[in-house]
Amino acid sequence: MAEVIVVTSGKGGVGKTTTSASLAVGLSNRGYKTVVIDFDIGLRNLDLIMGCERRVVYDFINVIRGEANLNQALIRDKHAKELYILPASQTRDKDALTQEGVQKVLDELQKTFDYIVCDSPAGIEHGAQMAMYFADHAVVVTNPEVSSVRDSDRMLGLLSSKTKRAEERREPVKEHLLITRYSPKRVTRGDMMSLEDVNEILAIPLLGVIPESQAVLRASNAGDPVILDEESDAGQAYADAIERFLGEDKPFRFVSEKVHWIKRLFSIKEKEHA
Amino acid sequence: MIADRQACFQLKASFFPCTILQISHYDLNQLEQQLFATIQRAPNFFLGSPVIIDLEKIKDLTTVDFSQLKKVLINSSLVPMGIRNGSEKQHIAAVSAGLPVVTIGKNSKETTQPTTEPEKQVAQPSTPGSKLVTTPIRSGMQIYAKDADLIVLAPVSVGAELLADGHIHVYGPLRGRALAGVRGNKDARIFCQKLDAELVSIAGYYLVKEELQNDADGGMMQIYLENEEVKLTKCGR
Ligand SMILES: Nc1ncnc2c1ncn2[C@@H]1O[C@H](COP(=O)(O)OP(=O)(O)OP(=O)(O)O)[C@@H](O)[C@H]1O
Ligand SMILES: [Mg+2]
Repeated sequence: MAEVIVVTSGKGGVGKTTTSASLAVGLSNRGYKTVVIDFDIGLRNLDLIMGCERRVVYDFINVIRGEANLNQALIRDKHAKELYILPASQTRDKDALTQEGVQKVLDELQKTFDYIVCDSPAGIEHGAQMAMYFADHAVVVTNPEVSSVRDSDRMLGLLSSKTKRAEERREPVKEHLLITRYSPKRVTRGDMMSLEDVNEILAIPLLGVIPESQAVLRASNAGDPVILDEESDAGQAYADAIERFLGEDKPFRFVSEKVHWIKRLFSIKEKEHA
Repeated sequence: MIADRQACFQLKASFFPCTILQISHYDLNQLEQQLFATIQRAPNFFLGSPVIIDLEKIKDLTTVDFSQLKKVLINSSLVPMGIRNGSEKQHIAAVSAGLPVVTIGKNSKETTQPTTEPEKQVAQPSTPGSKLVTTPIRSGMQIYAKDADLIVLAPVSVGAELLADGHIHVYGPLRGRALAGVRGNKDARIFCQKLDAELVSIAGYYLVKEELQNDADGGMMQIYLENEEVKLTKCGR
């Protein structure tokens, strides 16, 4: 039985799709057969980030409506071995995303995959609720600023009430906090919320902290999920997050400001003089 | 979760917060100025919020100009819903000015004694007369303890709302809104471990965040009503 992971946030543009892509690649590179589904009907971003946009023929909605079967719609990823992508449709017909339809597709995927990653659209409406409804895990993507934290809090409320697990009063959805676009420099300057502040308000286990990084944009443009850029800070931070997801203990990197060794030397000197 | 295409609407029970404007002195100019000052202090709380005008204290006045009163409220970005507790004459005048007589948010007299209806609506009564919640109350969530106290063993987020006919206890930070004695019990109190609330209210008397800030010092606090005034003190004092 596959485990269903929803990547969600409430607020738009915080890094859900970037995270879904790297999470999916990371899990499959660790040997888990993984499929990543784009729930953002009408916008369709995931295929671009994964670099498979030219190979989209059928999509999620086609499968739900029975216009194509799952094997026709699943796209094999070019980076990782056991990874497939189920793209969103651009027909803008959000209502086509029915609960029975989603259930049918997930049931079928459950049979062959270890992980099903659901890239949620922004907001708290129908599409986002469909993406979370069947989840076993939720990766709540949050930027360190008040409105994003508020929306994530809202999302956590929905996860505890509007999911299948909640409705059936089973063990609740496992919540993971992923803070993205983190900039220690801006935290020090006081124009960004700190890790501790975010953590105190949301109070769920911290899965990772992804730094604000040029590498993300570069990766998106190339259609190669940033986790594959092993030299980059963001790539390494995503790799750490995957390890933590799989139960390993990893220290947090890229969370405090790098101080150049010359500067550090000077500050020691200054202290001695004082 | 599935949209039912046949149904045109859904009726939902709600405790939609509604502010009661109890007029004690009828002077429209003064009223407008005071509203302006109040709203300035807590714009997020008041702008666009529904208001019921309570006429209890000016019942004998025959000169109330309801259409003018309505205008003043609308100009202050409030949404007048209707009136209550007026005289027969006032009711007729209000209705012709487009302000219906509302019966929700009952008379204060009727509700000083909380009625003891059967507990059928309390989802999981922990012990009779109390409702226990152990998971965080997140933004957008609302918990109501009907005919009961509410005990929360987790944080209450900004944008969350607690309501109880009895007392409210929060063993965690209270960052959202807490309304105790919502059906008029003036003896209801709020206890919380860390007070950082957006609003606290006892029997409809309330304080907003700005008014709470100076007094909340981080420790266990209690909030109660004394001579129609909301007070807060450190617990155990
Ligand atoms: N760690 C990061 N550093 C720098 N830029 C980032 C980072 N994470 C995401 N971005 C950028 O933020 C933008 C939004 O990212 P992404 O599309 O992943 O967000 P999203 O939450 O899926 O958005 P939507 O709500 O529209 O679906 C993109 O331009 C992406 O390149
Ligand atoms: Mg997206």
